[in-house]
Amino acid sequence: MTAWRLDRIPSWCLPLVVGLVLVAVPWFGTDPLWVRQLTLIAIYTMLVAGLNITFGYAGMLSLGQVAMFALGAYTTGILMIRGWSMLSSLVVAVVAAGVVGFVTGLPGLRLGGWGLGMTSFFLVLLIPDITQIFTEQTGGLYGLTAIPAATIGGRVLDKNEFYAVCIIAMVIVLALLRNLMLSSFGNSLRVLRRSPVLATSLGLNTNAIKAKAFVISSLPAGLGGGLVVCLDHFIAPTSFTLTLGVLIIAASVLGGSESIYGAFFGVAVIRLGTWQVTAFDKYSLVAYGLFLVVGGVFFSRGIAGLAEQQLLRWRPTRSQPTIAAQTREQAEPIPVTEVQPIPGSHLEVRGLTKHFQGNQALNEVSITAVPGQVTSLVGANGSGKTTLLNLISGLYRPTAGDVTLAGERLSGSAPHLVARRGVARTFQTPVLPDGMTVLEAVASARYANDAVSIAATVLRLPAHRRAERSRAEAARQALRLVGCEDLADQDAAGLALGTRRRVEVARALAADPHLILLDEAASGLDEGEVEELASVIRRIADAGATVLLVEHNFKMVCSVSDRIYVLESGRLLAEGAPDEIQRNAAVAESYLGQLPDADEMGATANAHE
Amino acid sequence: MLTLWLGICTGCVYVLVATGFNMVFVASGTFNFAQPQFLVLGTFLAYATVFSFGLSPWVALPFGLLVGAAIGVAEERLVIRPVRSKGINAELVTMVGWSVAMQGVMLLIWKENPLAVKGLAPDDVFTLLGVRVTAAQLVLVGVTLVLAVGLHLWSHLTMLGIASLATSEDREVAMLRGINVPRLGIGAFALAGGLLCAMGPIAGPTTFAVYSFGDTVVLYAFLAMAIGGFGHNIGAIIGGLGLGIFQAEISLHWGDKWISVLTFALLLSVLLLRPQGLFGERNERVV
Repeated sequence: MTAWRLDRIPSWCLPLVVGLVLVAVPWFGTDPLWVRQLTLIAIYTMLVAGLNITFGYAGMLSLGQVAMFALGAYTTGILMIRGWSMLSSLVVAVVAAGVVGFVTGLPGLRLGGWGLGMTSFFLVLLIPDITQIFTEQTGGLYGLTAIPAATIGGRVLDKNEFYAVCIIAMVIVLALLRNLMLSSFGNSLRVLRRSPVLATSLGLNTNAIKAKAFVISSLPAGLGGGLVVCLDHFIAPTSFTLTLGVLIIAASVLGGSESIYGAFFGVAVIRLGTWQVTAFDKYSLVAYGLFLVVGGVFFSRGIAGLAEQQLLRWRPTRSQPTIAAQTREQAEPIPVTEVQPIPGSHLEVRGLTKHFQGNQALNEVSITAVPGQVTSLVGANGSGKTTLLNLISGLYRPTAGDVTLAGERLSGSAPHLVARRGVARTFQTPVLPDGMTVLEAVASARYANDAVSIAATVLRLPAHRRAERSRAEAARQALRLVGCEDLADQDAAGLALGTRRRVEVARALAADPHLILLDEAASGLDEGEVEELASVIRRIADAGATVLLVEHNFKMVCSVSDRIYVLESGRLLAEGAPDEIQRNAAVAESYLGQLPDADEMGATANAHE
Repeated sequence: MLTLWLGICTGCVYVLVATGFNMVFVASGTFNFAQPQFLVLGTFLAYATVFSFGLSPWVALPFGLLVGAAIGVAEERLVIRPVRSKGINAELVTMVGWSVAMQGVMLLIWKENPLAVKGLAPDDVFTLLGVRVTAAQLVLVGVTLVLAVGLHLWSHLTMLGIASLATSEDREVAMLRGINVPRLGIGAFALAGGLLCAMGPIAGPTTFAVYSFGDTVVLYAFLAMAIGGFGHNIGAIIGGLGLGIFQAEISLHWGDKWISVLTFALLLSVLLLRPQGLFGERNERVV
């Protein structure tokens, strides 16, 4: 009963109530020192929430927030000294943070991991030097002093009113970011974090997504910087240090980096926990350092992760996969009449050649795949099968030759553009992002095609809801086709291998593809799972799709294919219908390593691996 | 000429740290963010050996080697290995944490004021090519070059070195070839930590012992390594010395406040235009 009632309360009610209670705190006669602490917590929360977008969701450690915090502070301070009002200065500070966040994020488009981390650390280190270069505006090493009091509409705010302003700003920022992260955009970031290759193969423009993430994560930092100036009325260049950077990472890890509300709790625990310890300054570096070590090693999901576990008991929707679902025998196949037609396109590969620094991975290969048929590529390891798939999906640029789909040239386009032209694929090792349900993972295939503006997403406008519904509908249909509809609400990353492969096929189908590439779809599956998968593949082709399958399991390939191409050392060795290939002596010798023998034909061909 | 020489001396510090980075990077594929803190710790130990314990500065060599190796092993076991499977982000967080914690401990023990370190060489001053050169600087430059070149030869001529190179190419294949990859990794952490910590009495007279020294050195040595190509010690020498000279010239002609800004510009151009560095190679395979 309790669970049912909790579900009926809209999720935005809790933050609203917490926000209202927080706003009211000073009027209960609270100590002014406490009010100041809470004001600072609100400001830092915005900073950490911004960090969580790049660091937690997109998986890019960038300390740009500290630099944007400084920028917001200086912009607001300089403008207010020149007589601007607080609100207009803050608006300029936020815009400036967005612009600079975009510019400083540009290197991050090409860098990942340490390259990005180090450039952003460097950016923080530059702050004092930049203020010195612009001493006239920023006061150089002495900082800015005598910044006017915070006002709204010409009325000077007292400490308690300013506190209320900060809390309201924090609640609004958190609410907007929460809406943004619980959407196709947030899920795109998760996909990107899991695998940039997966993101591009779903048609997502990784550069655009990263740039948006950098800009969005800069905005709250700029706002926070502006507010902290209005609180203190002065700026010292020494307040923006790597230690501040370490503090916000620690707060992010403690609160749970992949969460929005977690930022508040992380900051609150760190600030309140260290505030009363008078000697803390001395030990602060050691404490933050150990904090990151312990937090990084033991609880990767922070307070928010713990809270979510508790919530799961109340709301069973996002449950872990049950044992029954993982090991179930056979999904009941749906009647063929229910399958919607999947209009495939004609794939033509002509004279495709790829050299890697002199190593000829693929040499003058020409193949065709037609709608309604399964076309297979077989060959030993290193014969160039996956290279061919990667060339078709645009991950590699061909040395010579070209690829056309429905008469239009694909080769030369960026991989995400190839994907948007209707090329969907699966991977040798299935790639399903963490923290997403099966339904969301499958629906992510449609993000590129029915994109919704960020404004519509954040404000939850009808366009956003419409797109969500149509994606979910398409995803359910694709899941039904592969017989996994009952798994829609389970955690995608926790599925068994065979199921993961079928979910990947569903994801490929959800994009309404004109060409489906399946890369070693059956490897690692047991016999039953292989049969299941083969019937799914057959059903897809019968619905009209163009399927190109790369596979080692010769028996399965023969059972499911209409046409087979055999590769050897980057060259085409043979092509034909399954029975022709089975009788081909050259294939038997090179690929199967034996003369054709009816009894042994069924043995998988990759035994020598 | 004097600027050039000062640049080379600063550059040597970057080369030292960069070879430490390389050692760990080659053997375990990890960028050890805390590496510069080992050198800083070494300078404090060298200070303590002479001024707190009243011993000869030579004692600081084995002392630093042991302490540095022990901390290196602890780092690998406590903060690297447990998060190996969790991806680079977890590693980034724990390693930054370890670095900050080391820095915090040094701040607690030795406070924030820079301390002068007594080195191995006497306080002699020579004039070479019209430049006043201290014996300590000569020792620093000499030891750095010998160490970096020696490590380069070691990694290309000995079995263990070649095994490390193989591991950096492909961990799994190296394991299949019978290389004890985990032990190699921990060995590299110990060796890099120990060697850098033992450099305290050699670099200390030039750098002084300052707890915050690592903040900038980590970035500059990273740049030196990026210029040379990750994992390449001859590249690190060129990158480190080049960067030291670059910064000394900026300081002379434009003023200190431009050093970090222009170095940042250099870092960006290297990472964006030639991310594989001078000697590195690029990989194209993605799936």
